[in-house]
Amino acid sequence: MIIRGEDIIIRTIARVLVPFIQLYALYVIMHGHYSPGGGFQGGVILAASMVLLYITHGYSEVNRKFSVNIAALFSSIGVLIYSGIGFLCLILLGNYLDYSKLYKLLNVDPAHARSLGILGVEIGVAFAVMAVMFSIFFDISTGGISPEDEEEKD
Amino acid sequence: MNSFLIAIGLALCLLVFCVLYRVVFGPGVFNRIAAISAIGTKTLVILIIFGYFYNRVEMFIDISMVYALLNFIGCVAAAKYLEDEG
Amino acid sequence: MEVTLLVQAADDAFRILENARGQAVDLLDTATKLTSDTRLMEEKKFQAVFVGAQKKKSALQNFVVTFLLLFAFWALLSGKFDTFHLSLGVICSFIVALIGHDLLFANLRVGDMRVIVKRFFAYLPWHLYQIVVANFQVAYLALSPKMPISPKIMRFKTKLESDISWVTLANSITLTPGTITIDIEEGEFVVHALSEKLADDLDTGEMEDRVAHVFMEADHIYIQDVLDVSRIFAEFR
Repeated sequence: MIIRGEDIIIRTIARVLVPFIQLYALYVIMHGHYSPGGGFQGGVILAASMVLLYITHGYSEVNRKFSVNIAALFSSIGVLIYSGIGFLCLILLGNYLDYSKLYKLLNVDPAHARSLGILGVEIGVAFAVMAVMFSIFFDISTGGISPEDEEEKD
Repeated sequence: MNSFLIAIGLALCLLVFCVLYRVVFGPGVFNRIAAISAIGTKTLVILIIFGYFYNRVEMFIDISMVYALLNFIGCVAAAKYLEDEG
Repeated sequence: MEVTLLVQAADDAFRILENARGQAVDLLDTATKLTSDTRLMEEKKFQAVFVGAQKKKSALQNFVVTFLLLFAFWALLSGKFDTFHLSLGVICSFIVALIGHDLLFANLRVGDMRVIVKRFFAYLPWHLYQIVVANFQVAYLALSPKMPISPKIMRFKTKLESDISWVTLANSITLTPGTITIDIEEGEFVVHALSEKLADDLDTGEMEDRVAHVFMEADHIYIQDVLDVSRIFAEFR
């Protein structure tokens, strides 16, 4: 049947837990203003879930979901979101990260606009942190050569 | 209720010190990893007891869940590393 | 005279028994062949279901059920039920279900889940009772002055099929004090037990039967018994 590898228990538990870990990471990001959490913490938990999938299932499973190239892309997208929101506030005649000026775009009062602005910035931070953490772990564990290149070399 | 929780917290701290012996003196690294994992599970409950005393249990449940996840992932990662290169 | 009759009667009886034995062996041969054929066919059908046809329709089913499960988990975590946070929950569950929809239900059919969940919650009280009983046994072993433990490692083959039921059985064995699952090598459990009594409690196979009942497996247990009996008979021939 679908039985491969020697460590069945760790594989099964890891594959059942990973969606819940990821959802918990997103919960931590979104509720950063209310309970401990925020962008950095949620990004680290997301990266940890991908690391768990990598060490238990190997590179092929993770490659379908989150490969190293996408990690490089996501880190840039995270920084883009962060500075993009900052520049948007600049364009709307405020200071650099003055979220209250976003109320015209979102049709809410300025206090609410600050809260939503912070949420957007945290999402950008989470993207960048997840991508960079995963890339660091991947580079340290494989020495920078992805297993695809290794297989082609053989 | 308060004194009951204090008693439980102190008992768990005592058990943590018992397991700490294995962390320090455990011959070999596998004993140390298993002992750290066991300390992690007791830390969760101690954190939630702290939450009762600060009257904000929901915040400490979040923290405990994060530590549980990271404890599990750390244990699996250490075991995998030692299997391949130990 | 009576002795001759007696000897003749005994001869006839033995001949009848020989015939009956021959017929029983033939019956078991046919039964073995039939059951091995059915088992082969069932395995092929099972593989076809899970390799070929599962792709399209079950992918959508997996996705929807994963999405609902994750949204329920989000609602459990975040105690706020206003529109903003619920819509955030919907978006987050959607993203996570999109990435990992093939992770949760790789070996089970989604339609079976209702029965499995119900039977699982019926299995838990029995398991708790086993834990309590084993707790007392291990406490007696550990606290008596001469500590009469005799640790042994036992192996047993299991009749469960999918990896989730293997993991459930391994976790149940490990949660029960006194027994720890060390490894699962190709369908064989390697369990370390603390004393003879705990090993015998495990050896009866009741926990395995109950886990098989939870996951609706080993329905063809009787076929396996016939195969075993036929193997024993083949040795006697």
